[in-house]
Amino acid sequence: MGFSAIQIILVFVWVFIIAIDQFDFLESLYQPIVSGAVIGAILGDLPTGLVVGGTYQLMTIGNMPVGGAQPPNAVIGGVMAVVFAIGSKMDVNAAMGLAVPFAVLGQYMVTLLFTVMSPMMSVADKMAEKGDHKGIVRLNWLAMGALGLLFAIVCTIGLVGGSAMGEALTALFDKAPWIMTGLGAAGGMMRFVGFAVLLRIMLSNEHWGIYFAGFTLATIIGYIPALSGSALLLVAFVGIALALNDFQTNVAIRNAGANGNGGDDDGI
Amino acid sequence: MAFNQTSYNNLTPAAALDKKTLNKMVWRSLNLQGSFNYERMQANGWLYGILPGLLAIHGEDTDDLKISMSHNLEFFNTHPFLVTFVMGIVLSLEQQKADINTIRAVRVAAMGPLGGIGDAIFWFTLVPIAAGIGSNMAIQGSIAGPIVFLLLFNIVQFAVRFFLMHWSYKLGTSAIEALTSNAKEFTRAASLLGVFVVGALTSNYGGTTIAPVLENGQTVQSILDGVLPKMIPMALTLGMYFLMKKKGWTPVKCIAALLVLGLVGALIGIF
Repeated sequence: MGFSAIQIILVFVWVFIIAIDQFDFLESLYQPIVSGAVIGAILGDLPTGLVVGGTYQLMTIGNMPVGGAQPPNAVIGGVMAVVFAIGSKMDVNAAMGLAVPFAVLGQYMVTLLFTVMSPMMSVADKMAEKGDHKGIVRLNWLAMGALGLLFAIVCTIGLVGGSAMGEALTALFDKAPWIMTGLGAAGGMMRFVGFAVLLRIMLSNEHWGIYFAGFTLATIIGYIPALSGSALLLVAFVGIALALNDFQTNVAIRNAGANGNGGDDDGI
Repeated sequence: MAFNQTSYNNLTPAAALDKKTLNKMVWRSLNLQGSFNYERMQANGWLYGILPGLLAIHGEDTDDLKISMSHNLEFFNTHPFLVTFVMGIVLSLEQQKADINTIRAVRVAAMGPLGGIGDAIFWFTLVPIAAGIGSNMAIQGSIAGPIVFLLLFNIVQFAVRFFLMHWSYKLGTSAIEALTSNAKEFTRAASLLGVFVVGALTSNYGGTTIAPVLENGQTVQSILDGVLPKMIPMALTLGMYFLMKKKGWTPVKCIAALLVLGLVGALIGIF
């Protein structure tokens, strides 16, 4: 392939930025249509970058990060597809095929980072208790930097080492598939700790029924395919109705009590 | 946790947040998911985003700031493009020094439903349109493709972020004045709504399933679903709740246990 040192550095920097951009910043620079053009320009072949980026984009339109799910990583996939299309002079579809192992690696990086950041939240708790607001800011930027760095390293390895490198790296992970499966499963379960903390604070004994009612309604709506996207909104309407009713009833009871206090309420 | 107070020490409402502070938080809202993680999701990024407002309201180095930062680090997840709506409303409550349980309940109730709305606006409508137009231009070799996409997407994104922040802050401020006379009843009702939403989140965000298949080809998961769908998410949530409430487990200990459960479970084929 043979890319110059400056090209490699520029790709590293760009991938660093868009890796963060996939969750933060403008949340649009990372889209293959944009990043394909930029990578193409860096590697000296803008037209190919535009075509591969546009093609990859159309492929991912039906594959959005909806509801917090992790689709195959379009950030690394898009970048590496352009790299192979330009570097190895291959056609768009072949380049996108070679990029797949890297997209899988990208997904692993995200899973790893989100897992590692979970115990870091107790560090954040300690900062909050001390009022260390600068620490919270630092932690947020640090995690963003870590994500950028992981992605930039993987892409640079692919840029220098070629497509064989991607397969070698994924094979390394595939030797112990249970590790990534296990991390994924654990990651999916960790949110229950967050829910439990909220319940521990918010849940009074008289509201247990309300918790199960919310669970039940969301489950029913969630199992209707046409409604599953708006499940939480529909649930919220019912919740608001319940809360308003509770509010109005209790205000009315208190006002009735207050009026009664003026007279001989005990006798009547 | 060191702070079990349900109200702030200084109950005098702080000065209203100025436009500059609100705008600063709009910019910070871009990095809501910076320290995303599986346990609290966007919690740390959320706190990072509202810090300018919290500092203006509670002041530096006050106990109230510490209390406020602590409760704003609890589980948080909403649609990243619509987060300023939650920010505005929570900050109006913070500024009025509302009861902490009220602030928490409003935050939880507001964050949940936005996910579906945001997905519908951004991922199902705006991106397909903007990227569809841009991609076709790009495939024909036009550099205008990515530029058109970026402009369309970001004009809408920033209009939504700025509008929601200012609108919901005003909305929250005007609503509070009407509610202060019935504060106790409002807190109770808001907590009710919060618990209802956490119940819904348990089902809606809970995707944990198990893999084992019986000899007759039936999956164990399908049997569990026949008894009670989403049984595992509910059992895990309540299990964690009891471990923390009755056994005094810390969240970190719960996370470590789940990590072991996940890895061992994957090794022996449960997941």
